[in-house]
Parts: sequence; structure tokens; C-alpha cells
Amino acid sequence: MSKKKTQIKKEEKLLEELKSALGPQLEEAYIKRPRRIHIRVKPGAHRKAVEYMRDNWELWHVSTITGVDLGENIEVIFHLWRFKEPQTAIMVRTMVPKSNPKLETITDILPSSNLYEREVHDLLGVVFEGHPNLERLVLPEDWPEGVYPLRKEWQPAQQEGE
Amino acid sequence: MSRVTIPIGPQHPALHEPEHFQIFVEGEIVVDVKPRIGYVHRGIEKALENRTYIQGAFLVERVCGICSNAHQCTFMMAAEEAGGIEISEKASFIRTIVAELERIHSHLLWLGAAGLEIGFETLFMYVWRDREVVMDLLEAISGNRVNYAMNILGGVRRDISPELADKIRKGLDYLEERTNYYKKLCLEESTIRKRTDGIGVLDPITGVKLGATGPTIRASGIKFDVRKNDPHLKYDEADFELITWDTCDTFGRVVVRVLETIESIKIIRWCLNHMPKKGDIMPEKLIRRVPEGEAYARFEAQRGELVYYLKSNGTDKPYRVKIRTPTLANILSVAELLKGSYIADVPIALASIDPCFSCEDRITFVDVEKEKAWTWTREELRKYSREFNEREKRW
Repeated sequence: MSKKKTQIKKEEKLLEELKSALGPQLEEAYIKRPRRIHIRVKPGAHRKAVEYMRDNWELWHVSTITGVDLGENIEVIFHLWRFKEPQTAIMVRTMVPKSNPKLETITDILPSSNLYEREVHDLLGVVFEGHPNLERLVLPEDWPEGVYPLRKEWQPAQQEGE
Repeated sequence: MSRVTIPIGPQHPALHEPEHFQIFVEGEIVVDVKPRIGYVHRGIEKALENRTYIQGAFLVERVCGICSNAHQCTFMMAAEEAGGIEISEKASFIRTIVAELERIHSHLLWLGAAGLEIGFETLFMYVWRDREVVMDLLEAISGNRVNYAMNILGGVRRDISPELADKIRKGLDYLEERTNYYKKLCLEESTIRKRTDGIGVLDPITGVKLGATGPTIRASGIKFDVRKNDPHLKYDEADFELITWDTCDTFGRVVVRVLETIESIKIIRWCLNHMPKKGDIMPEKLIRRVPEGEAYARFEAQRGELVYYLKSNGTDKPYRVKIRTPTLANILSVAELLKGSYIADVPIALASIDPCFSCEDRITFVDVEKEKAWTWTREELRKYSREFNEREKRW
């Protein structure tokens, strides 16, 4: 149990660091469980958050990027992993409106986010501005433009027997 | 020297799954690589949103045939964490045992396939013969050689009896003896060393920056293993070493996998010795609904860090599931590590990350002369199959 507590204490320190680095651009910050830090930032400030972590914590590893359709908005979550002690996963969340889903890329800061941004663009239509090559990743070339299968309004056609 | 483009795939020369690499060569040397994936994207993330957790559990197993348990287990771990569902001590032990047996089967499969890549077919025959032992153990536990369907919300579906535990111990003794032999072979046999030394070099700094995971990055000396860094199941208690190797090449990836197999045997033995004799393995009543919440689960699959993000909304279907398989994380690195190698080394260097491309229900045809691609619908596919069968008089 004490191992868990010391881990959380170390993570709280990291959280304080982020709070002072981001200031009012940080909307929400909490530790869900040991090794899971969540922060929510204003759109655009995700670059600042990621850059801070790279420069000060040598954080390079992007585990993945998730896009979640929340109706009006699309939530984009960057799942990062800190290699240095205390090792922890950090979720950086930000929201983009579905009517104009644009977000600045972080590929120039963390190159490992390259394919994940393309995937989110492919399946949810979030445009990552400044991405070096925002081509199709998993959908076929003849997939219609502007149709994003992971948005809630898109439903697959019913197949025979379903 | 002029630059020549060589397409490799989608019928992949190494591991029998479709992916496409455009290789740019100058003379015999690879100077650039452009990967193209998505040939088997089946839309599983969307399909999961329309299926219950119980149905989903059996669907995610089909993401990948070799790491099927890793996917099912991570999906369940994510759902359990999101909904605050506890699993019993014994279930946790059984999950760990199956996960490690699966790692042994996968690493041995890979070692055999790597033997084939480098033209060492005796190694392939030997390893695959021995791999049958672990396949039999998995079948004895789950009733199936692949797609074990062991996990369910709140536990596992099958118990390991003391008799079965003894059988597993016997199987492990044999596997340990054989793996130690392969360890000696890999470290000393010049056939292996000559075809893997210095091939597909990934320096640790580039590897970390490009997000490589699993044996790929551990062979470059980076201590990145979810079992140690972010322990799930019983890994924080089990006694095992985090294996790394510092040659940064294909040889290192061979050694890391062989040594990890020995560590997996150690973990399973520890689990069998410490597993509670009594206790429930799953809740009495089947859990169908997951309370509202979200979770981010990480799992050390055979190929590296496997990641699931799950958001539940209190119903019996997940609101959103995101899957990131280890191969996607390793793609950028593979493009990097191929640069500078000979064309003849491309298959083994590609295979050295143990790629696994499983991703949408579709077939695309490309007419090279007309530069046109189109997709067949299910009806057209069925029509073609009917015509084909008639032609071949198979009815």
C-alpha cells in the first residue's frame, strides 16, 4: 500500500509542475490511479504541454492518440508514457468542435505521433494542421471524401443475415 | 547512381500477412522506405460499439490470431477498470499463466519463422516441433489451440486443476530444456550470427523517438516492458528479469525473444506454485453491464505494448474502444532500420519486429495498367466465389 502512496506523491509533484507551466490554459488535472495522470487543456495548448514534457522530462513516447465523438465535439486524447522515474502514463485531452475539427499537429515535437494523427484524421476527420503527410492510413483509396466511420452518425450498411 | 523503386508486398515475403513497402534502392543498398498499411482493416473498433461486452470479448480475439489472448485480456481489463469490477486472485493468476504460455508459443513461432527467413530450415523444423508442446498445454487449459476465449468480465472461464498444473509443469520442463538449447544455438551457431549480426540496426535514441516497443526496442538496450514499468495482473509479484540486449540489430531481437521465453517459463512456474488452491474464477452471475467510466489499459503483448482505451456509458455496449497494436508502433522504426541494408536482408529485417497486420473487411483490386483501384462488395465477392466454384466443379 505504501508503495502506491509514494508513487502517487511523486505523481502529484509532476502535476504541480504541469500546473505552473501551463497556468490558466490547464482546465482540469487529476490522478485517476497510480501511473495514470489526466490533464485537460484548451485547444492549442496541447502543443505547449507536450513541448514542456519533452524538454523537461525527456518524454518521447506517444502510446497512441484517441478521438472520441461526444456529439457536438470531438475529444482528442494524447496518451503519453514517461520513461523516467516516476514512470507514468499521461493523458493530454483537448476538445475540437465537430463543425470545424482542426488541431495543430504535434508531429514536429514528438515524431512518434505521426501515424496516430493520420489514423484519427482518417477515421474521425480531425485535421492536424502542419502534419507533414496527412494521407489515408487505413481506409481504402476509393473511400468517399468526408465520410468518417468512427463518428457516431455513421453506421455500417446492414448486411444480409444481421 | 540512379534510384530504383522496388515494391515489396502486399503479399509479404516474411510473415504471410498483407502489407506494402516501397523500397528505394541505389545499387544493392536500401536508401528509403515507404510503408503502406491498412490492407486488412476490418473496422473492429466500430463493430465493438454495436456489440455487447460479451460479444466484443470474442470479437477482439480475432484482431490477431497469435496474440488473441492479449487482446481479450486487455479489453476485459479496460472494461473492468472503467466499471470498477474486481477480479478474483485466482482468476488473475490464470490470466497471467495463459498470457505467458501465449508468449512462449508466439516467440517460438517467430524463432522458427526467422530460421526460415535466413535459410536455416532445420531450426524451423525443430522449433515448430517443440512449439507443439505449448500448443497442447494451451489446448488442455482452454480447449483450443488459438482463440482461447479464456477471459470474461470479472474473471476467467476455465479453471486450472492441480492435475492440469502438474501437466503444465512437465511441459515446461521440456520447453525449458529445449529453449536453453536454442539459447546456446543462437549465441554460438555461426549460421544464425552471419545472417543477423549488424542487420536492421535501430539505435536506441531513434527507437525511443519513433515510439518502438516490445523486443524491437529491448534489443536496443531500452528497458521498456509494460510488465515491469506498469505491472498488470500478477507481474508486480512474479519473479522474472527484464531482458534487454545491446547489439541493436536483428541478432539482438533473436536473443531477446529466446531469453524472454525462459523468463516466461519462470513466471508460469511461479504462478503455479503460488496460485490459491480454492476460490472462484468468475462471478456467480454473468456481468453484462459496465457502469459509466473510462479506462486506459496497457498490456505487454508478445510484440510489445498493447493499448486499449475504453469509455463506457452504463449500458451493455461500450461507447468507444480504441485499440493500438504494437506493430503500428513499430512501423516507423522498421522504415528506419531498413535504411542502409542490402535488399537480400530486407525480409529478415522486416520480420525481426515480428509484424502482425490485422486491421477491415474489404478487398481492393489494383489494375496497374489503368492505375485504377476498386473495392468489391460482399455480394460481388459471393458471386465471384460461386462462379469460381462452378468453374472448378467443386459442387
